[in-house]
Amino acid sequence: MIPTISAYTRQEMMAIATGREIRDGELAIFGVGLSMLAGFFAQAHHAPNLRAMTEGGVYGSTPVGGLPWGIECNRISTNATSFTSGLDALGCLVGSGRCDVGIIGAAQVDKYGNVNTTGIWDGEIGEAFRAPKTRLTGAGGANDIACGAKRFLIMVAHEKKRFVEQVTYISSPGYLEGGNARARYGFAGGGPSAIVTTLGVLRPDAESKEFELDGWFAFSSIEEILANTGWPLKVSAHARVVPEPTAAELAHLRKVDETGALRRQ
Amino acid sequence: MPQPKLLSLAEAVRRYSWDGMQYASGAALPIGSDAVVFGRELLRQKRKNLHAIFHCNSQQLNLLAGAGAATKAECGFTGLEVFGFANGLRRAVETGELVLEDYSNLAMPLRLLGGALNWPFVPATVNIGSDLQDRSAFAPDEFPAKSKIATVTDPFSGRQIGAFRPLKPDLAAIHVTLADPLGNSIMLGTEWSRFELSRAAKRVVIVADAIVDEACIRQFPNLVRIPEIVVEAVVYWPFAAWPQSSPGMYDVDEEHMRAMNAALATSEGTRDYVRTFVESYRDIDGYLDMIGGDRLALLRKTRTAFLLDPYRKWIMPAAEIASMQADAETK
Repeated sequence: MIPTISAYTRQEMMAIATGREIRDGELAIFGVGLSMLAGFFAQAHHAPNLRAMTEGGVYGSTPVGGLPWGIECNRISTNATSFTSGLDALGCLVGSGRCDVGIIGAAQVDKYGNVNTTGIWDGEIGEAFRAPKTRLTGAGGANDIACGAKRFLIMVAHEKKRFVEQVTYISSPGYLEGGNARARYGFAGGGPSAIVTTLGVLRPDAESKEFELDGWFAFSSIEEILANTGWPLKVSAHARVVPEPTAAELAHLRKVDETGALRRQ
Repeated sequence: MPQPKLLSLAEAVRRYSWDGMQYASGAALPIGSDAVVFGRELLRQKRKNLHAIFHCNSQQLNLLAGAGAATKAECGFTGLEVFGFANGLRRAVETGELVLEDYSNLAMPLRLLGGALNWPFVPATVNIGSDLQDRSAFAPDEFPAKSKIATVTDPFSGRQIGAFRPLKPDLAAIHVTLADPLGNSIMLGTEWSRFELSRAAKRVVIVADAIVDEACIRQFPNLVRIPEIVVEAVVYWPFAAWPQSSPGMYDVDEEHMRAMNAALATSEGTRDYVRTFVESYRDIDGYLDMIGGDRLALLRKTRTAFLLDPYRKWIMPAAEIASMQADAETK
């Protein structure tokens, strides 16, 4: 069966495109929600030897009964081989530099892959710190993944208000001001390798670390992506359409996404 | 010989909490093992100006913040995972009623570990280089902030790194699955940062879903990550984490998680919630009636129930616990 555009959702395409970034045998850490679905999809479909964990210190398990409500949820605790702690997962396995890949989300992301999940301010914060107009969920484990994982993927809905020239608050560092700015801090991790959105895939330029459009989805276009990005997005010379989900990919994703979280439009 | 430390919830809150204290809990994640019922009792006893140390927000902090009882907080994560933003905490932050200092989910256990070991600071290789380091809600005029995550030189490499401030909360209310009457505790599921918190806090009150005979503890000493020597008191309270989950015991109450969070979005809703779900019960039986027998039965049908099997034969009946508690309270 060749799926048609209407046969899968944008969210499902985003999860599959993210999952394709994960390689077999890697040590990987997933956050709650979409990133967990993308990660466990990869494990089910093409990375059977993936060593998956959540920052909750829940190891060796897969979701049972649908999308877990949290990274410690009973839905991810029914078939675990080890329960440890946050210090172990985020410290010994991620902050140490041991983890190969992590997946995080974003409320706002900028052209150097810096992520804001802390709050939305009216304008700049200014010299003196003030509470945001809209408070969001904070950094969680994403900052630790962004600092420590060898590489990480950012999953985010492609909307102009989310894709900004410069985030108001850096909750989790991407390439900071670009180039080799991360080297100032000696992070164990290498930085974001891709931003996967509901419209396409962005990757950083090797030197400047500015994110460029690398691929658009079959239902999207370069024009739509440029119109929904808040900075003048460069289009890579190699940019091309991202292959649609195969029937096998969709089947595996939907088995992981038993409660249909990604199918709600 | 150590003596049983069973105490009623009300008495534990009376003895070990006070206005303005640094109060820690939530050393579990936002939908899991947290001593949510301890927070309800703090509200019933009108505690205020609490400085909350919560590794992650939970419905407990959401409630304490929404009801105005907590005015300062330090957290690594402030949402409710798939249940979305924590409306009570969010409202308190946006209106300025609560000042929230942000860290990450690794920073908080490292700070607790630093307190537990009595270290002067903890070297930081995360949180540096971001606004978690540069912005401080507790010292808003410092930019970039110097007193939150200070910069120090690694004496071995000469590299600039961060320094986390250790935490030693006045009190930690820690939810566990099983405890014996002395306070030896077993946690099913991830312990998140309850180990570090139990050593960092000046006092620890254990809130257990079930009390087991000491023989259970002697059968599984490797699993006892919180030994009685660091425990001040043990509170028996079934469904203590409700509406959150307790692996092996009960699932998350999805409907109440949503309803509670919706109520906490406004001050009127919060008043109603407190009247109906905080001030309404007199004892454990009244609390369980409030949740409702049908719902309790549904929540108990967790797929993780098998995790509890090795321990079931040692679970003590409520009447026996009540009698031990009465003895312990008079001492």
